[in-house]
Formats: sequence, structure tokens, C-alpha cells
Amino acid sequence: MPNDISPERIAALAGDAGFSLSGDDAARIARAATPMLTRFAAGGIAMPLETEPSTFVAVQHKDAAR
Amino acid sequence: MSDIAEMNLKDLAAAIKRRKISSVEVVKALLARIDKWQPKLNAFARVEPDDALKSAKAADRTLAAGKSKGPLHGVPLAHKDMYYSKGKLAECGSKIRKGWVAPMTATAVQRLEAAGSFRLGAVNMVEFAFGPTGHNVHTGHVRNPWDVTRITGGSSSGSGSAVGARLIPAALGSDTGGSIRMPAHFCGVTGFKPTNNRVSRANCMPLSFSLDTVGPLAQTVDDCALILSVIAGPDPLDPTTAGAPKWNAKAARRAPKGMTIGIPKAFYVEDLETDVAKALDDAITAFKKLGVKVVQVDLPDQTLVSAAALIVLGSEAAAYHAPWLRTRPDDYGAQVRNRLQIGLAYSSLDYLEAMRWRGHALAAQLEAMGKCDAVLAPVSRAVAPTIEETDIGAGTNAEPIIQGITRFMRPINYLGLPALSLPAGFGQHGMPIGLQLIGRPFGDETCAALGSAFQAATDHHKKAPSLA
Repeated sequence: MPNDISPERIAALAGDAGFSLSGDDAARIARAATPMLTRFAAGGIAMPLETEPSTFVAVQHKDAAR
Repeated sequence: MSDIAEMNLKDLAAAIKRRKISSVEVVKALLARIDKWQPKLNAFARVEPDDALKSAKAADRTLAAGKSKGPLHGVPLAHKDMYYSKGKLAECGSKIRKGWVAPMTATAVQRLEAAGSFRLGAVNMVEFAFGPTGHNVHTGHVRNPWDVTRITGGSSSGSGSAVGARLIPAALGSDTGGSIRMPAHFCGVTGFKPTNNRVSRANCMPLSFSLDTVGPLAQTVDDCALILSVIAGPDPLDPTTAGAPKWNAKAARRAPKGMTIGIPKAFYVEDLETDVAKALDDAITAFKKLGVKVVQVDLPDQTLVSAAALIVLGSEAAAYHAPWLRTRPDDYGAQVRNRLQIGLAYSSLDYLEAMRWRGHALAAQLEAMGKCDAVLAPVSRAVAPTIEETDIGAGTNAEPIIQGITRFMRPINYLGLPALSLPAGFGQHGMPIGLQLIGRPFGDETCAALGSAFQAATDHHKKAPSLA
């Protein structure tokens, strides 16, 4: 399961970043974000410890050089 | 000669170079056509006739003196209103940037102008490039030249509409989640989303620094290749392009015989309108006739890739817009503000996991592609829906329709692959259908070679709408 994506958690996250959200807005955002977070979490992705975002660039160039 | 405005970019540039037509004649022909079509399409944000005519006269004088600036000498272009040109407005389809004058010029524009092109104006776009349909509450919706009640697709709505209506021979768009390919598909033009990090994004309005790409919409693949030959390659102002190769024109002209195309077994072939499925089948037949081997490919789960793409896009877009979201939230259109706020839901861990996985996802995709040079898939499951049925604010059932037409886009941006959208037929209501050739990293030229051969064997890209 993904992290808690309840409207309360959204409102707290946004509040920490300096945004004041209404309860309705927090609920709407939670509804919109839930499918993505749930789907990504359900992927059960396991990565080697050493993986970092720039791994992407390395894979790009490795394939180009094949 | 037929209407000058209907000529494609390559032929236009060649005719100007040979002095069969003048740059001034081209500008006048385009302005006459814009006068007729603009009130119906709202494709242009601004038309700058005086400056364009001045530039055209200068280009003609240079040519008369036996000189040429480059392969686009004397050709007028107009780009999405997010490409900065020093001293010119760049309002990004927004209220927030209304009246904003760019203090610098985008590298892509600079390179196009160094090759001899000049500016005819700027074309409309979705507010801050964050929307897939072409709706814009600030500047008005851009309309599809094939049926003005239908969407152009976004966010390069003006680029698709203007090129489709032959108001301009080519225009830059940007593609973060399909924003070049969708307008190309819906408006019946060719659109080229290059490999991520192949074309400089310096001095363009950003949306998502990991996913943004800069590319052309034009009538033909050869036109797009001509633009990319000018703009692709390293730029010190955009360090992500450090390893980007320059355009290889010879590779882009290779005969496709012996190449291999993969057809996805799932996802991209699901729930297609009958005409879209037929266009795919017809294209497969056309490629086989060209000597291309066609195989089926079993790609990794694209819904997982799409979820990762949306987490990255949402997080990065919210980061860019956080200052204005705090201080000027009411100056955004409601739908764009709502989309931006979704990024507030993602934690740093969510975002970084999605970013860390990107290389693994790409490696898995490439392994599944095997020896394929490209994958052929529809751009969208359907032809352009109406503006009304995709207007979220009107309280209709718009969201599922929008989800349906955009789902084949986002995985490609996350994977950073090149994708060429090709006109491939017409479907319901006489609306255009596009297919995308999805290449391997930096395999843009291979897509161009395949696409160019396809267009030499078909005539879908030659059809233009008529003014109702």
C-alpha cells in the first residue's frame, strides 16, 4: 500500500509547504492522486541500493551506443 | 503554382532559395490565409505583420546579393507562446504572464533564426502547457481546422491548428505528456517529440524538467527532420543536452528495407475506435510493402509507467508553480490550478522513487523491444472529441473521455523515447487519425527514415481542411 493519501495527510503536506487548502480541495486532490500512488505502489518495485535518477541517462546512452 | 500558403516547409525553403518565390510573397500569402481562418480557429496569440514583412524584405535582399543564412532562409515561422524571443511577449497562455516580455531568446528559436527563419507571430497554447485538450479560459479555446466544434488537443493547440490549416509551414510545440503528438493526431499533421535531452530547452517556459521536450509540428516528416537538423544537439545553456548527438541527415534518409517494427500486444491496441484500429492495420500493410519486418512485442506494463510519469510531472509542475500557487491562486484557470495542486499530494519519497525507477523502466522497455527499431502504435484511441464534451468545467462526463484519449502518451515521456506522430487516415466525422512511431533512445533519425518512407507511400499528410 502507498503512504496514507487521505485528505488530512494532503492538507498537512500542503500546509507544511505554505498552502492553505479547504477540506474540499484536499479531498479532491486525494481523489486525483490516489490512482497514481496506488498503482505505483502496487508495482512492488524493488531496486538495487545504488540506483539513482541519473541511471536513466546511463541506460539511454548505453542503448544508443549498441 | 498552387497556393503558396499550402506548400510544405521543405518545398517552400527550396523555392525561396531558388528565387522562384520571394519571402515577401510567402508572408503575404500566409497573412491572407490567417485573415480568413484566424477568426474561426483562434490559433494565433499574436500576428506581427509589419515585423514579418520587414524581415522578409531583408531576407530577399540578402538572397539577391547571392547570400543565404541557411536552410530556412526567408521562411516565416510561428511558435508556441512559451518560446522566448528577446523583447517579445511570451504570455504562455496565462493571465499570470500577461504582458510579460522575454529578456532572452530560446536556444531553439535562436538556432532556427540563425538558419534563416524569422518570426510571423506566436501561436496559442494551453495555460502553462498543462492540459491535453486545447481549452483555455484566458485566451479562448483553439479550434480544430477540420471541425471547429472539436478540440485540437493540447497543449500545443495553436501549433497543431495553425499547421493543420496551413497558416504557417511549421511551428515548435513542446511535449511533456503528449503535447506535440496529440495536436498532430487531432489536427492531421506530423509531430515529432524528440528523445529527451536531444534538443535544448533553454529559455523556454518549463513544466517538468525531467519530461519536457522541444519539437516541431509540420506537414511532413521531412519538414520535421529539417527543423530538428537545425535545433538538435548540445547546448551549454541546457546541460542535459551534453551528450546529445547532432542530427544525422544521412541516417534520417535511410531506406527502411530490413528494419523491424514492433506492434504492442496490449495497452496501445486496447479499446480502439474501429477506424483507428483499421488505420493501424493499413499502416502495418504499408510498412510491410516497404520491406519492413513487423513483429509483435510484449511491452512491460505501461499503466505502471504512466503512474510514475504522472507522479514526476505533478511533483515538478507543482514545484515550478508553488510561488504563484501561494500568492496568486485565483489567477490560474480553475482546471489548470486543480491539476497543479495534485502535485501537492506527492511526498519527496514518492517523487524520488518514481525518478529512481526511470532507468530500470527504460531498460525493461528496451529489452522487450528486442531488435525492433521502433514500435508502431496509435497516438490516441479515438479521433478528436468535441470541445463541449471535453469541457471539465461544464459539468459533463469529460474526465473519462480525456483519460481515454490521452493514455497512450505519458509512458513515452517518462521513458524519454523519441516518438513521431504521422497522419495515417481519417475516422469518424471525417477527423484525422495519427499513429506514433516510438523509437529507441537517440533513434530519432530511424523514426524519421521510417516515417518519411511511409509518407512517400501514402497521401494522408497531403490532405488539408477547407474553410467552412
